Amino acid sequence: MIYLDHAATTPLATEVLQAMLPWLQEGYGNPASEHTHGLRARAAVEKARAEIAALIGATPEEIVWTSGATESNNLAIKGALEFRGARNAHIVTSRIEHKAVLDTCRHLETQGARVTYLKPDASGRITAEQVLQALTPDTALVSLMWVNNEIGTINEVETLAPQLRERGILFHVDAVQAVGKLSINLAQTPIDLLSVSAHKLYGPKGVGALFVRKRPRARLAPQIHGGGHEQGMRSGTLPTHQIAGIGEAFRLAGLSMTEDAQRLTALRDDLWQRLQVLPRIHLNGEDASRAPHILNVSFEGAEGESLRAMLGDVAVSSGSACSSATREPSFVLRALGRDDELAGSSLRFSLGRNTTAQEIELAAARVIEAVSWLRSLSPESKDSASSAIAGNGGNAFGYAEPIWQRFSAPTHVGELNGEGVLTAEAGSPAAKSLLRLQVKLGEGAVAEVAFRAYGCPTAIAVGEWLAASLIGQKPADWAQLTASKIRQALEIPDDRAHCALMGEDAVQALAALFSKPDLAS
Amino acid sequence: MPVYFDNNATTRLDPRVLEAMLPYLSGPYGNASSLHRYGRAARDVVETARAQIAAFIGAQPSEVIWTSGGTEANNLALKGVTDLATPSRVLYGITEHPAVMETAESLKSRGWGVEPIAVDHDGVILWDAFAAQLRCAPVKLVALMRANNETGVIQDLGDAKTLVHGAGAWLHVDAVQAAGKIPVDFSEMGCDLMSLSSHKIYGPKGIGALIVSNEVEITPLHHGGAQERGLRGGTENVAAIVGFGVAAELAGAELAARTAQTLALREKLESSLREISGIEIFGAASLRLPNTLQFALHGYDGEALLMQLDRKGIAVSSGSACASGNGEPSHVLLGMGISYETAKGAIRVSFGKDNTEAEVEQFLTALKAVAQSR
Repeated sequence: MIYLDHAATTPLATEVLQAMLPWLQEGYGNPASEHTHGLRARAAVEKARAEIAALIGATPEEIVWTSGATESNNLAIKGALEFRGARNAHIVTSRIEHKAVLDTCRHLETQGARVTYLKPDASGRITAEQVLQALTPDTALVSLMWVNNEIGTINEVETLAPQLRERGILFHVDAVQAVGKLSINLAQTPIDLLSVSAHKLYGPKGVGALFVRKRPRARLAPQIHGGGHEQGMRSGTLPTHQIAGIGEAFRLAGLSMTEDAQRLTALRDDLWQRLQVLPRIHLNGEDASRAPHILNVSFEGAEGESLRAMLGDVAVSSGSACSSATREPSFVLRALGRDDELAGSSLRFSLGRNTTAQEIELAAARVIEAVSWLRSLSPESKDSASSAIAGNGGNAFGYAEPIWQRFSAPTHVGELNGEGVLTAEAGSPAAKSLLRLQVKLGEGAVAEVAFRAYGCPTAIAVGEWLAASLIGQKPADWAQLTASKIRQALEIPDDRAHCALMGEDAVQALAALFSKPDLAS
Repeated sequence: MPVYFDNNATTRLDPRVLEAMLPYLSGPYGNASSLHRYGRAARDVVETARAQIAAFIGAQPSEVIWTSGGTEANNLALKGVTDLATPSRVLYGITEHPAVMETAESLKSRGWGVEPIAVDHDGVILWDAFAAQLRCAPVKLVALMRANNETGVIQDLGDAKTLVHGAGAWLHVDAVQAAGKIPVDFSEMGCDLMSLSSHKIYGPKGIGALIVSNEVEITPLHHGGAQERGLRGGTENVAAIVGFGVAAELAGAELAARTAQTLALREKLESSLREISGIEIFGAASLRLPNTLQFALHGYDGEALLMQLDRKGIAVSSGSACASGNGEPSHVLLGMGISYETAKGAIRVSFGKDNTEAEVEQFLTALKAVAQSR
């Protein structure tokens, strides 16, 4: 497995695990307890707090523990507005924020807030100028991510911060993808609230922090009430081991940040260099400065789901993991002018501290192979059919076995030429799938068959299954190849039923051509 | 040997739980929401743990929502139910944990009527008064704890469902202290929401759950991401979830043994304490958690006592760990009508599954020494 999904989550650093273990064993005291067990745990919590502060140029009292960046973002935005008692205040944010910010803003809109969602410029970032132009007299808060998690572009937060301070507008920055990657010095940059997370930086899941500036003081209404922990801003027993873990992770990041940034930038550029042997690909965010660890590329003519399926043992992401279950087209990619289809054919490679040059070389080769192969399958392809190479990484996404087998090792891809070939097509590029079936009859039955397909693995499997099933079949029996039969044979789930319908359409089109041979020309 | 008698504040992680967690701390590191193989493996273990919690508490897996702990679970329950509702009233037991009490009180600023429910001198809900309180105006939510964290007093919630549902309200039960110490069954109790915490049952800190009946609609506390059916955004804390699941399974399997073992220790301590003059045991006439004993030694300051005991290697608490250090006596004891002076002398002993009789002896010796040295 080549893991290139570090922007989604990172492996826990060995040193971090070692730092956590004592607090999962003897150091079990509650940090809020007044006895020795508690005091010892509290000391570990405070040591970690100082580490977080040190990495971002803050003071320890400015660090509030949370369960992760999602909570940090919620606390910052809701807490700031609630403290001001300004339910109908104006917020400026952008459309390329993490869901935690967008969903929070949408929630606040239902409570009366007005929100401006800025679109990124043509280079895929948000500029200071855009934000300043969106301000209104009642703007209470600007919330902007430092580094975009999908394409790695760096927004102009450093330019913007002093301008917002001058205007007395609270500035929240989601720095989840920036911290430990870029140098952050809050002693110099007047950001008021800043969210960070541990598990994107080789720390444990389930812990994060919010920087809350003391001078001038950013005030928040708590979003989790209770025992009054964390200066009353966030109640709940502190998970000592998690906090010791984030502290160590941030300490390590401070030690290796400069070196990591140089190395990752070189690897990232090498990956892009290698991929460029493929025609018709686009580097997303090419014209903006980008964080060292993220490379996002769109591949024309290679359907996204099939591309990911083929790269099973190369773990990459298509956009943010948080939204991949819902498969919403990426806003940032659309802003760059990629249509929904091309946005869907985009991969985010995110590199990490353990990524090697060999892994980059191998991953590039695998992607090149996969894209070339999928393009060669396509009905629009002029290439001759290449040999099947799909599925080197195995069935990583859990497709039904009959689908996976036919998708990963099709044997009927190609073209038939010459007299008496019947060619039928079904589906539409708009539906992101297209199937071409060709048959040649001999002695009253199908003697030769070939297909080409563009679409998800199920669509390709349908083409292969139909081609195999048509061999030796008399035209009178073609009608038996119905959508329900295709679904049954391939165990196609409900949400892919349209692939079976496309198959049925193609077979019916063949039958129509047979009965009206004049159409075949 | 240090003696740890503060198991209601937090428990020592069970080595069996740690063993179950380790592969998910150091091993497959998928984000459980990612679709690739690592992510899918993480998703599977999260669902296994959900089933373990459900089995432990008598709920459906679909009713289990992960949170960062008991405090967040209580916040999610109270705010989640009231967020989009037309404000009416929220009632809570006067001895509730601050996570319930402070959350309930915060709803006042959103237009809700918020009222405590009175208890008697032994910490038990005054049911007749409560029934009358329910009737006098519309109520949306009632929050009652199954067992108190300081006194260990158990509320008999057998009729609570009928009363609360009769008033057209939802019943939320904070079972953070009760779960794993006495039988707690969500569906049998008929409540609508229930909070659980992992680190009180020998699981890891930083994870808990809110059980929400499928009939109750709640709004999220943390927006962002589709995790937990959209009710709780944020990347799943996979290792902690796995640990909580295993801790719950062990708590279910070992409940009877743990109860018998801690109860024996408490009875020994209680009968010995009764021989000391000037001792008051709180909630003495009530049914209490088998592991919990809160008392005051008249004329002594609880905080000072616990510091002196700590110096002798014995960890106890004056009350809730959250409220510790502010010098104020426990709202629980004051709510029971205990005098300010007496409440300030409170010491809570909470036993765990690994405590021994020898440790009780050690505690008694130390307590007598501290008391005499004054």
